[in-house]
Amino acid sequence: MLEVKNLMVFFENAIALNDLSLEVEKGKIVAVLGSNSAGKTTLMNTISGLLVDMKKKEDRRGGERITLLGALKFEGEDILTIKPSLRVRKGIVLSRERHPVFRESDVVENLKIAGYLTEKHKVKEEMEDVFQLFPHLTKLRHRKAGLLSGGEQQMLAIGMALVARPRLLLMDEPLLGLSPAIQSDLARAIRDIHKKNITILVTEQFARPLMPIIDRGYVIENGMLVISGTREELADNPEVRASYLGV
Amino acid sequence: MLSLFIYGVIQSVTLALYALGFSLTYGISGVANFAHGGLYILSGFIAWSLMNTLRLPIYLALPLTVVIAGLIGFALYWGLLVRIRGIPLAEVVVTFAAGIAILEFLVWIGLYGFYYNLPIFIKGGIEIQGVAVDYQRLFVLGIGVILAVLLWLFVHHTKIGLAFRGIAQNEHTALTFGIESDWTGALSLAVGSALSAIAAVLILPMGVLESTVGYEVLIFAVAVAIVGGLESIPGMIIASFIIGFGQIAVAKYIGSKWMVIVPLGAIAFILAVRPSGLLGKFKELEERV
Repeated sequence: MLEVKNLMVFFENAIALNDLSLEVEKGKIVAVLGSNSAGKTTLMNTISGLLVDMKKKEDRRGGERITLLGALKFEGEDILTIKPSLRVRKGIVLSRERHPVFRESDVVENLKIAGYLTEKHKVKEEMEDVFQLFPHLTKLRHRKAGLLSGGEQQMLAIGMALVARPRLLLMDEPLLGLSPAIQSDLARAIRDIHKKNITILVTEQFARPLMPIIDRGYVIENGMLVISGTREELADNPEVRASYLGV
Repeated sequence: MLSLFIYGVIQSVTLALYALGFSLTYGISGVANFAHGGLYILSGFIAWSLMNTLRLPIYLALPLTVVIAGLIGFALYWGLLVRIRGIPLAEVVVTFAAGIAILEFLVWIGLYGFYYNLPIFIKGGIEIQGVAVDYQRLFVLGIGVILAVLLWLFVHHTKIGLAFRGIAQNEHTALTFGIESDWTGALSLAVGSALSAIAAVLILPMGVLESTVGYEVLIFAVAVAIVGGLESIPGMIIASFIIGFGQIAVAKYIGSKWMVIVPLGAIAFILAVRPSGLLGKFKELEERV
């Protein structure tokens, strides 16, 4: 479904992604593991097109030079340079890191804004699905998103991505900074989302809560791919066990 | 006392109308459009030209003026602002320069004195318990209130309005849902300019159509926005009422030439006491928490 080939990203002269290649098969849950500044967010921003938008704006005002090389294919079509809204229309939706919700809007309005490209009557259906997936949000419908707890905001952020009707859902560190109990709740929710025929690419620093649900994983360090394999292969790899599973 | 109340309300709504376009544009795109006063007078001149040069009837000329002003706002974004988006100082310099260019151009082609004026909608007025009020001022009041309600409905219940809310709060997150920052930015300038044109065709008939008024309108709009708290529409309305009533009270008890002191004094006061404005929040402070 998604093919990343020899991707290179530079911010001025600093290299953020170095000759990175990976693949996401349709219907799978794929994880990208890496520590801080490994390039996870840059990868997600490249796939979702945010980076293309940043580059356009930086170029226009003569700011930081962003360079993008390599190939990025979605269902066989090259999407490396197309704008984010076109990618959303194709079904690529990103849930950004640190649950960046619209803080001044209430839960319902957040979901409505997220449904910008979804037909109006479908937005309602999708919203009900979100409340079914996260029953906890139902009571909070009319609370301002800025007043929600971290876990609640993360649920909302995932729900918002779903209202945009993804076929490939990108999740950038959805479990960051949450308690172990909420982490395993969210991992379960990710599995439920996957059951709706949505392919998922998820990044994380710490792999344990995700391990039971993923099909494949890639480990990146300093923008470079260092390990890749199926869940079983990763679970057996001593380096992965030490750095990302805490065994 | 009753006259103080009636004229206070009318003055407050007038100020709110001046500020509506400025606040809306700033609230959505973060662009402080200092060409606001220039666009206001330019809209008045366009309306005058449509009626007097092209001889269009008033019911065609005024809506057309609002549409043209919207297009000018749109062009302002794509022509001048698009390259410097996100550099606040450059945005201020560019819009301020555009505003001055518009106003001085109008002076240059001879827009001053009593020759240019816009017609009021219906002549005459009524008396409310001994206080005479003309119909045009009641129009200002009514349309001001209707506009505020329509704007609220637009922002909270239409796709474009919701896109505005999204971009205003978190541009990058909005982008991930397919909302386009350039189009919303351009639209925010267009809607802001159209609102300044509505204010112009409503309010200008009661005064003179000349460039100096443009500078005044800009001062009023900025004063209301700063006192209310940039980005806060409820704050803007409260600020309009404080400054509006303040001005009418000053005019009544001290002298009308001191009226302009009120908005300037209010800016100085609020910046000293509560720099983020009555209902505004400093984003930086909020994000640090």
